[in-house]
This record gives sequence, C-alpha cells and structure tokens, in this order.
Amino acid sequence: MIVAGRKVAIVGMGGAFPTCTSLDDFDKKLFAGESLIRNWPKAAAYDKQIRSMVAGYITEPEMNLEAIHPVPETEYPETYVDHLGRIPDLNLATADLGCVWAMLGAQESIKMAGWSKAEVESEQTGVVIASGGGGNVISRHAWHAFYELGKKTRMAGSHTVDRAMSYREAANVSCLIRNKGVCESIISACATGLGNIGYAYRLIKFGLQDRAITGGVEGTALETFIGFDAMQVLSKGFAPEQSSRPFDIKRNGFVCSFGAGIVALEEYEIAKARGANILGVIDEYFNNSDGDGNMFYPSYDGQKRLWKGLMAGGNIKPDVVKVHGTATPVGDILELISVVDTIGEEGYHISAPKAQFGHMLGAAGSVELIASLLMLKNQKVLPCINSDELNPELENFQKKDGWEGSDKPAAAYRHLISQETVAKEINQIVCLNYGFGGTNSAMSISRDDK
Amino acid sequence: MENERQEILDGLLEVLKTVRTIDPEKLVGVTEETDFLTDLSTPSTELINIAAKVEQKFDIEFEDEDIDRMGSKVKDVIDLIIMVKERSANK
Repeated sequence: MIVAGRKVAIVGMGGAFPTCTSLDDFDKKLFAGESLIRNWPKAAAYDKQIRSMVAGYITEPEMNLEAIHPVPETEYPETYVDHLGRIPDLNLATADLGCVWAMLGAQESIKMAGWSKAEVESEQTGVVIASGGGGNVISRHAWHAFYELGKKTRMAGSHTVDRAMSYREAANVSCLIRNKGVCESIISACATGLGNIGYAYRLIKFGLQDRAITGGVEGTALETFIGFDAMQVLSKGFAPEQSSRPFDIKRNGFVCSFGAGIVALEEYEIAKARGANILGVIDEYFNNSDGDGNMFYPSYDGQKRLWKGLMAGGNIKPDVVKVHGTATPVGDILELISVVDTIGEEGYHISAPKAQFGHMLGAAGSVELIASLLMLKNQKVLPCINSDELNPELENFQKKDGWEGSDKPAAAYRHLISQETVAKEINQIVCLNYGFGGTNSAMSISRDDK
Repeated sequence: MENERQEILDGLLEVLKTVRTIDPEKLVGVTEETDFLTDLSTPSTELINIAAKVEQKFDIEFEDEDIDRMGSKVKDVIDLIIMVKERSANK
C-alpha cells in the first residue's frame, strides 16, 4: 500500500506523434491549434472496402526508419533500419513498429530525466508499457503465409512471437535499457496509456520501485484500423483537419490515430535531491469499472464513481479537465455531464486533445498526459478545435426516466470548452480515459511549485 | 565440386548480408570454417531465419529434421544445401 511521504514526479517524456518531427514540434503544432489528421493513402488504396479514409498515422520515413521487406517482396516488415542509428540492429530485430517508437520514446525520456547508466540499469528501475492492440501487422503475415499459402512455420521468421506478443513494448524497451526492476504491461483497451502510467505510479508510491519508464503505444497498422472501421464508429464526411470534432453537434465518430507517449517517473525526493527538472507531480491515480455489463456504452455512474475515488485521495481542484472526448455521439456529452455534476459548472476548462490528433487507442492516455504536461508548462489550455456548435437540445439519455444527472444541454457548457487556446494559470489538471469493457482511469497532475 | 561450394558460399554471403543482426564487418573473410554463433555472433534465434532465406535463395526446401541436425558452421549449411539439392534431383 501507499508508503507515507512518497510522492511521484514526472521527469522526462518523449514519443511519436503524427506529422511531428519531435516533441518540440508536437508542442508547437498543438498550441498553434493545428490538426495532425490527414487523408491516409494506405486506407484509400482499398477504396470501397474501407469506410473512413482519415487517420493520425505516422510512416516509417517520418520517424527516420526504413522497413526491410523480404525477397521476393511482400508488405511484411522483416525488420527496420534506423537511419539515425539510435536503436541497435539487434533490438530492431525483435521490434514491431510500435516497439521502435517505444524505444525511441524511452531514450528521449531518459535523456530528459538525466538518469545515469547506473540509475537506468538499477533494480529500482521498472518498465511498464503496453499497446491496446496485438502485433497485428506481424501476425497477419505470419498467419497468411501458414494458412493461405501453406508455407512452413519458419517462413514467417523466428520473430513473430517477440514482435507480436502482448507485452512486446515493455520487453523491447527493457532489453534496450537493461533495467533490472519490474518489466510488465497493463492492457486495458483505450485506457491502456494512462493505465500503465497509473500502475507505474503505484509501484513508486508503494515503495516497490524508485523509477519507471512507462506509457502507451499504438503502432500504425491498417490491420488495427479496419476493426474499428467495420464497427462504423470512425469519423466520415469531413475534411481531414475537421474530422475529429469532440462535443460538436455534427460529430459522427472518432478519428483512428497512432503514436507513442512515454514518460519517466521518479520518486519525488530522489528527483528533487539530484536537481531534476520536474515536469509535473502526480497527485493521485484511480481506476475502476462500470460494472453494468456493457462492453461499449459509457457509464455515468461509473464515471461519477471514478471521480469519487480520485477525489478521496487528496485535494483535487483542477484548472483543466483533460477528457477522453473521442467525438463519438454518446460518449462526449455523457462525460461532460459527469464532470460538471462532480466539480461544478465554473472555474475550470475542458480540454479534448483528440480534436487535434485523433484517438491513439492504446497510446491515447499517455500522449494526452504529455499534452497535459505541455499545458502545465505553457500555462495554456489546448483549443477544442471543430467544436463549432454544441447541442442546444437535451441528449436522449437525459430524457430517460430515472436520469439523475444535469438537465441542461451541452450548449449550456460552452464557456468550459474553448475553440481557441486559452492562456491562464494552470496548477492542476485531471486526465480521464476510458476503454471498451467499461474500464475507467483518472490521474491528477500538478505543477511542482504549487 | 570446388566451384559449386564456392558458388553456394557466395550465395550464402548474399543472404547473410540481408540479416541485419549480423555485423557486416564480420562477413569479410568468411570461410567454410566460420561459425555463425561464435565467429559471427549471430543470435541463435536468427539461424532459422537464415535457413528460411537460404531456402528461398536456392529454391530448395529443407525437411524439419535437416534443420534440427544442421550445425552452426558455414560448411554445415553448404553441406546441407548440396545434400538437399541432390536429394531433390534423385526424386
């Protein structure tokens, strides 16, 4: 359980972000109000087989990587070459694309944290990273060669296990940095990114580790995209930059995106003692389940209990609530109301960064935590672009018998949701993420000097 | 015979150049006595990938038992390729 006096600081961050060359570029584009969503040629190549054609994708060349294909050539990425020489070939051989991003994010985080080799390789350093999906790109080719082409299993190569297993990102990062503490993955659909950081936070808070490299990843994969496309839950019918529209009355689905968000956590007093630059302090983490037996539909009750659990641990009075806000028809407003019914209708802003970079699935929570750390740094709230018009009418769920939440429509909360960047004093941000299966995660972070 | 072994060695070197986990500098001066594991520091998991690439390069198919018995020296792979080629020619 919690060890009295132990706090957890965030001392490094890095990752992979669509259309961005670096974390600084990500920072710049976000606060300039840009969208990172583009038409995806890879999806468009399948024409009418695919319903949605926009995504927040990242190609190999954009990360200075090159996929090596077998001879005779197929789409199968046999391994990757790092043209900047950041990751050794031996580590690249066991990695799928998301693992490479995770390793790059880990390197950036460690560099920013300023940890020594001894600190990184310590028994007190853990790695907790995961993605929401499987190693779908790798598995597809392995299965195709075996089942459809009737090839020997070895034709898929000897790395289909390490490149596709559920905890491949944690395993690859751990092999790269050679830590001797915990190496695990927490997998909880679209709450994965925040869930891993929450688990790593607890490892430190409970006195089991002093440091952790942690976060969430979702490597670019059309194989992942088509599952959501089949569910008809992806945005359709808008220009790419207008496709992700949390809270807007015309929203019709989320934009599927890919990326990686990795952070370095460290026990606060240890970080402070060595003079680390503290990007933020984690006040509290709480997670729960809806408990209503519904795989997909968001739960007002589950979210209210999530807030209750988060607030039980300490002083939670956020200046910004970074919501999950996917831009699906039901989820956004239900989430909005669970926020206002908990912390009131004034005194904070709501940020929905998926408006700018879409829904990164297993990376969503961690990349959005990084976006929140940037809000703390810049003292600015990110703009909720495309939230052009909020519904002036009640939602259907508000009209049902037994509804106990707010009886105001979304438009009554316009003042909380800005389409422009807002400069203001930001001392605390609450981050929320949810996933299929009714899993809910919440984390509160604060400025170190407040 | 001598020429055949040299041709196979040359083909094998082409295959090895595509294996990213083998340091290209170690491929200079490879002979039949070179050991994949000790001399080239090839990860043991990579041997199966090399075998699969060799099958494609030389248009042959190993039996599972062939690979189980394969040694870790370059000459072992060359012997195997010649044996499998002869076996398929005699079928």
